[in-house]
Amino acid sequence: MFFSCTEEWLEPDPLSFLAPENVYVNEAGFEAILVTLRKNLQYESTGNRHPLSMEHATSELAIPLVQADFRRNTPSNSAFFPFLSYFENAYEFIKNANVLISRIDQVVWEDPQVRNRLLGEAYWHRAYWYYRLVHSYGDVPWIGVELSGAKLDFQTHSRWVILDKIQGDLELAAEWLPIEAATLGDVTKGAANHLLAKVSLANLDFDQAIAASTEVISGAYSLMNERFGIDAGNDSKNVLWDLHRFQNINNSQNTETIYSTIDRPDAPPGTWSSGTYTMRWYSPSWWKILDGTGNRACNWSTPIGDTLGIGNGDVRTNDYWHYKIWEDANNSWDETPDLRRSANNWIEMGDEIAEILNCRAGSPQLGQPLTKELYGSLVDTTDTWFPWPHYKTFVPTPNNRLPVGGQGDFYVFRLAETYLLRAEANFWKGNLGAAADDINRVRERANAPLVSPADVTIDYIFDERARELYTEEPRHTEMVRASYIMAKSNLYSYTLDGFSEKNWYHDRVMRLNFHYQEPRFQWFGNTAAIDPYHVLWPIPQSVITANTLGTINQNIGYDGTENNIPPLETINETI
Amino acid sequence: MPSTGKFFLLFCMLLNFVAISPLSAFQANQNLTVSGTVMDGSNEETLPGASIIIKGSTIGTVSDIDGKFSLNVPNPETVLIVSFIGYISKEITVGNQNEITVNLVSNAAELDEVVVIGYGTVKKRDLTGSVERINADAFQNQTMTQLTDMLTGTVAGFNANQSTSAAGGSSLEVRGPTSLNAGTEPLIVLDGVIYKGSIQDINPHDIESMDILKDASSAAVFGSKAASGVILITTKKGKSGKPTINYSTRMGISEPASARRPLGPDDYIQFRKDFFRTVFPNTAYHFYTNPNELPTDVSVEDWRNYGDNPLADNNREYMSRLRLFPIEQENFLSGTTTDWYDVVMRRGTRQTHDLSIGGGADGFNYYWSIGYTDNEGIRVGDEFSSIRSKLNIDFDVTDWLSVGLNTQFSDRDESGVPASMGFYSNSPFGREFDENGNLERLPHGHTFHPLIDNYRTSKLRKVNSLFSILYAKVALPLGITYSISFQPRYETMKDLRFISTDIRFGGSPTEDLSQGTRSEYSHYEWMVDNLLKWNKQIGIHSIDATLLYNSEETKRWSSDNSNINFFPTEELGYHALQFGNNPALSDYDYRFTGDAMMARVNYTLMEKYLLTASIRRDGYSAFGLQNPRATFPALAFAWQIGDEEFFDSELINRMKLRLSWGVNGNRDIGMYASLARLGSNLWYDGTKQRVGVYNSSLSNAGLRWERTESINLGLDVGILEDRIDMSFDYYDMTTTDLLMNRILPSITGFNDVTSNLGELGNHGFETTINTVNYSDKNLTWRSSLVFSLNRNKIKNLFGDIGEYTLLGQTQTGEVPDYSNQWFPGQAIDVVWDYEMLGVWQENEADEAAVYGMRVGDFKAEDVDKNGVFNELVDKQFIGYERPRYRFGFKNDFTFLTHFTASVFIRADLGHIGAYSPALNAGFESNDRRSRNVGPVPYWTPENPINDYARLDVSTSGYGGGLMVYKSRSFVRIQDLSLAYALPSHLAQRLKLNNLRVFGSVRNLATFTKWPHWDPESGASPMPRIFTTGISLSL
Repeated sequence: MFFSCTEEWLEPDPLSFLAPENVYVNEAGFEAILVTLRKNLQYESTGNRHPLSMEHATSELAIPLVQADFRRNTPSNSAFFPFLSYFENAYEFIKNANVLISRIDQVVWEDPQVRNRLLGEAYWHRAYWYYRLVHSYGDVPWIGVELSGAKLDFQTHSRWVILDKIQGDLELAAEWLPIEAATLGDVTKGAANHLLAKVSLANLDFDQAIAASTEVISGAYSLMNERFGIDAGNDSKNVLWDLHRFQNINNSQNTETIYSTIDRPDAPPGTWSSGTYTMRWYSPSWWKILDGTGNRACNWSTPIGDTLGIGNGDVRTNDYWHYKIWEDANNSWDETPDLRRSANNWIEMGDEIAEILNCRAGSPQLGQPLTKELYGSLVDTTDTWFPWPHYKTFVPTPNNRLPVGGQGDFYVFRLAETYLLRAEANFWKGNLGAAADDINRVRERANAPLVSPADVTIDYIFDERARELYTEEPRHTEMVRASYIMAKSNLYSYTLDGFSEKNWYHDRVMRLNFHYQEPRFQWFGNTAAIDPYHVLWPIPQSVITANTLGTINQNIGYDGTENNIPPLETINETI
Repeated sequence: MPSTGKFFLLFCMLLNFVAISPLSAFQANQNLTVSGTVMDGSNEETLPGASIIIKGSTIGTVSDIDGKFSLNVPNPETVLIVSFIGYISKEITVGNQNEITVNLVSNAAELDEVVVIGYGTVKKRDLTGSVERINADAFQNQTMTQLTDMLTGTVAGFNANQSTSAAGGSSLEVRGPTSLNAGTEPLIVLDGVIYKGSIQDINPHDIESMDILKDASSAAVFGSKAASGVILITTKKGKSGKPTINYSTRMGISEPASARRPLGPDDYIQFRKDFFRTVFPNTAYHFYTNPNELPTDVSVEDWRNYGDNPLADNNREYMSRLRLFPIEQENFLSGTTTDWYDVVMRRGTRQTHDLSIGGGADGFNYYWSIGYTDNEGIRVGDEFSSIRSKLNIDFDVTDWLSVGLNTQFSDRDESGVPASMGFYSNSPFGREFDENGNLERLPHGHTFHPLIDNYRTSKLRKVNSLFSILYAKVALPLGITYSISFQPRYETMKDLRFISTDIRFGGSPTEDLSQGTRSEYSHYEWMVDNLLKWNKQIGIHSIDATLLYNSEETKRWSSDNSNINFFPTEELGYHALQFGNNPALSDYDYRFTGDAMMARVNYTLMEKYLLTASIRRDGYSAFGLQNPRATFPALAFAWQIGDEEFFDSELINRMKLRLSWGVNGNRDIGMYASLARLGSNLWYDGTKQRVGVYNSSLSNAGLRWERTESINLGLDVGILEDRIDMSFDYYDMTTTDLLMNRILPSITGFNDVTSNLGELGNHGFETTINTVNYSDKNLTWRSSLVFSLNRNKIKNLFGDIGEYTLLGQTQTGEVPDYSNQWFPGQAIDVVWDYEMLGVWQENEADEAAVYGMRVGDFKAEDVDKNGVFNELVDKQFIGYERPRYRFGFKNDFTFLTHFTASVFIRADLGHIGAYSPALNAGFESNDRRSRNVGPVPYWTPENPINDYARLDVSTSGYGGGLMVYKSRSFVRIQDLSLAYALPSHLAQRLKLNNLRVFGSVRNLATFTKWPHWDPESGASPMPRIFTTGISLSL
């Protein structure tokens, strides 16, 4: 101790954390990376103004309530929804996959199947995030290996070369991944094929998209047509209610789930996400409605609040989603047999009164429906008054007193979407009959009137996606995917060159979302506005600025595009 | 201020000339006998050994052990010159007195004082480096919670800002920032050994003196961590003789030095109107007007018709248009309001008591003290108390062996839960308590009560520490001494918290979950110093050599436990976390090691030429992968020019030139920074918990020490028998191999990587001028003026050469780090932002629209006038965030023998600070939850000001964002004190050695344009502290 002048004396001695050298040495070590990647997927559908809620708020179905003015959304500024941070987070998850991909062959594998399963799943995760990036941001830098030092000369790659790359990776993943998960959470061949179908569609490889989705549909999956699971005995409910209970998503009877996140309120606290927040972002602040005394008629902290949630109206939906999308030649929205709009699956907020009853002890209106009349000149019911599909949003919140929507499994891919993907691929190929067949499989289960081949349009397909996949799909991403398909095929006079000035996404939003039509919606200093270039979100200025030795392109329309250079058309893996 | 300083200096010199009387003639008769006593005028102690000489002759005598003398003088006109080293000489005309008492006043230089340097001491006159001494005595009339209270602005080149909390403390920095990322706090050396504990654990009342090593050569003996300077602390020791007991007590109050009140009721209502009119421009203007205050052309009927569905009662309708909550409506109608400033801010009491016993006998001395401090901050819930004890014992066992113990114990209580400073979002029409007397959780119906955490959190936070120095010193042959010391330090911390859902405290069983946490650590570190010293005088040569071997180890073990949702009762609080339903645990331990060797020689030739040379080699485990050790050399030279024969000046009695060079290191980064680490997370796969990993940091095996090389040029001058003592220092420091967290583009998946890159320069100038301005029997007036300035510059960053855009120009050279705002060639603290021109006024609507802005938004300079605010083009260098000039000016007065008074004025000048409230940030909705910016002016069409923007200001047109800066310059009367010492004959009648009463004020007045709380603390309220006290000794 007194004379310790040896080199050993000064060796660093990490005590409470792990290091790469002693973890990435065997299957268990690499599996631990996959565990992180599976947890990373929860980012999409949990916590504060999560990405999936943003994907709906930026669609034709809704506005992002507190930032409906897209012109305020700049490369340096994104007030509430994660327009900028999504970009950075996706790359963090890609980094995790790249560590596995780069290190897998530093270990000698006795059983190549073990290596292939690990690598296949890492490919799948990486493809998942790149798929989202090239639709949210267009052309982006490709990073495909683990970085070992400071790198500041990134360059933007063309989205098409990235799509080629991940399509190839997914073909390998579909070959290597198991049909059935050995442990819940393992990515399967079905999930690989489903994602491959999406990527192929985006890449205009419709045959591959049909082949991959057919692999799934003819595989071990089938739509749930019968009641099942936790509420199966409750006669007032129906199969769509059952399908969307978080306890049922990985129920062994559920044959529709292809892949989901896993997140359980009764698991150890360290494993929890912050919750699905479905009862926060998608529903109105009904609990702010006042009674005749000026007090809240039924606050969120009452028993009914546990069921309805503490809505905040961030995804402020519109009349198109509430009513028009459900109407057809024979049925109005409140008469449709479609279970997805049935009275017991939705909470109604009518013109004057709501389905919710005043529940404040001592209120003169106790037991009467909430009404706008007593709300007086508090004028604005924008954030407090709109109907919503409760069967999709209800997730109990046992671990948090605020009923925001607690921990729960959440669908990533579900077979109903596979049908709609195959329908879309067939539509692009002109096979309207095949497209109608697939759509009708989904409609049939929902007890909705069937569609005839002549009525199948790309708009109809996206209406159907909304009806079936609200809260589940990355809606903005899917709309941008279709927009790119039309632009690249020069359909309906769309072009790639003019993508930032005219695209299907913007046209559809402007056509169906009355908030953006004159007189434009105005709320707390925001006047709703969306321009064609908002089809893509801004690349964060901080990333462009920190990349001092290279050029990452900004999307056309945003400030800072003068330094853009043509995107790379090939991937050089030795970056 | 500079011109005031000059004037002051002239004034002092003038006074001094007046004080020296013209020569009088010498007369030869020697027939009178005069006797007398020479005394120190400040403490009434006698001075033995003072010389008394008849002016114009060589005849004289020396005072004896009791300070007495007797001398024959020729006649009553004889003038005696009485002098003593360290004191200002005095001339006395004998006259018809035959018994004379001469009170001497110590001079400004105090050259014989022994100053502590690393691993030794030296007389101040023999210093070769730049060392500043602080005597704790000078602060005995003030309130002190931490030793840093003595350092705020009082030492040239020592940058310290006061803390605003009850616990006190301050930032510490010597000369300038020598690093971009590693720590820049100076090293603390306590009674000769490196001290790594908290300075909070050192009782300032145990301190005898502090010496601050500013230049590299003085600090280089501490090599590894000395790049940011060194503070050497010497604590009190017992003196031989009978025990002396000292007791002092200080009582005081603290109050906010400035009041930043939220909007009052009327302003608040006006604010609501202005806000709604801004965000709903299409709504009729008078929709928000009080129906009783409508202009003549708007009828109440019109007013009612502005709304779709008005309430029957106009007042209710008006309040609902302003979106007042039910509680607000009731209080608005009844005129009941709450000023949340008064709820949160308070006048706090403070007390400090210190008791010590010191004494000694042959071969033995001791000092023991215990001190208790209990402070209330100016915010409700901000509380701090501590008990600190110190024991110093030294034994001379034989004539060749001495041993000793120097130990301190401290018990800090940091259990306070301060009120929230976000009270600006609470409505003046809210209420503190509900009708049942429970704390109103949401005082106006939304937004938490600022005291809710203070009420519902039970917290116990205790830090205990024990630090000891155990030493033995052996005298070896040939004048060599060997000493060894062992310094263990133990620290334990407990932080226990429980948040209750009790409705009496604003909790809500339906809305909250009870939560408990227990965080604890225990910490152990030790250090061993082996020292060999050799001291030899050979003729005109004097040599002093020192050799050191040191090693150290530090370990910590920490655990966190938490749980939530306690059943069936919350009664047990944090004492029983097992009764919740979701326990979680987390542990973190660490260990690091180091060692060092050092050699130093001090060589003096003819007492005029002084040379110091040293070399130190350090090892540290954080750099253990490839570069565990580094070497730090230093050289210093001083020349007593004043002692040279050619130097002959009436005015200047002393002059010394100092020149030093040295290299120091900085190891203050994370101990594991060179390693790649895996982060981990937990995930559940439906049946079991699984651990996931991910790479959380990039490794850098080549990480090494940051090195600061500096030169110091110093000049010490004594004028008029050291009535004026001046020191000037110029330094230039260059730091290379900067330890930096190099920012990476976030798409790498990492924020940064710790690297050694770049070069940073600091140079600056400091001066200290001490003067005795006036002294006579009834008044002594001393001043001390300190001034410093430091300029720093980033010389190199990462070495990435390329083409880049800055200030609108394409340049070639080293690429800046825009993310950190580090620009090669600029200072670290340079502010790069838009140059604010004002606010777009009504007649500039079209121009504003070009930038996507509205009238009332901020208007900045568009450098290239292209209609877009692009940061690389339009941001400019608009100022600096650190003071450009720092002044401290202290005046001490002793008057009527028993009174002392002191005033300290401080100024930090020339810098700006970010004032984010000016952006009026915070999304406003009808519940106004996030608007807590305080009383910030805003633009309206009726009040078209030009320095603050409208409400709901839009800054999204500013690429890279926008920040508003305001001047932070200030001048403050920081300390004022007055004391009275009971005359000793009266004190002795009370059986006391002495008795003193005193009072002081800290932060009496501040002059500034800074709009936030305080220019020194920025965004937190600065306390003004009044203290009175009494101190006595037996």
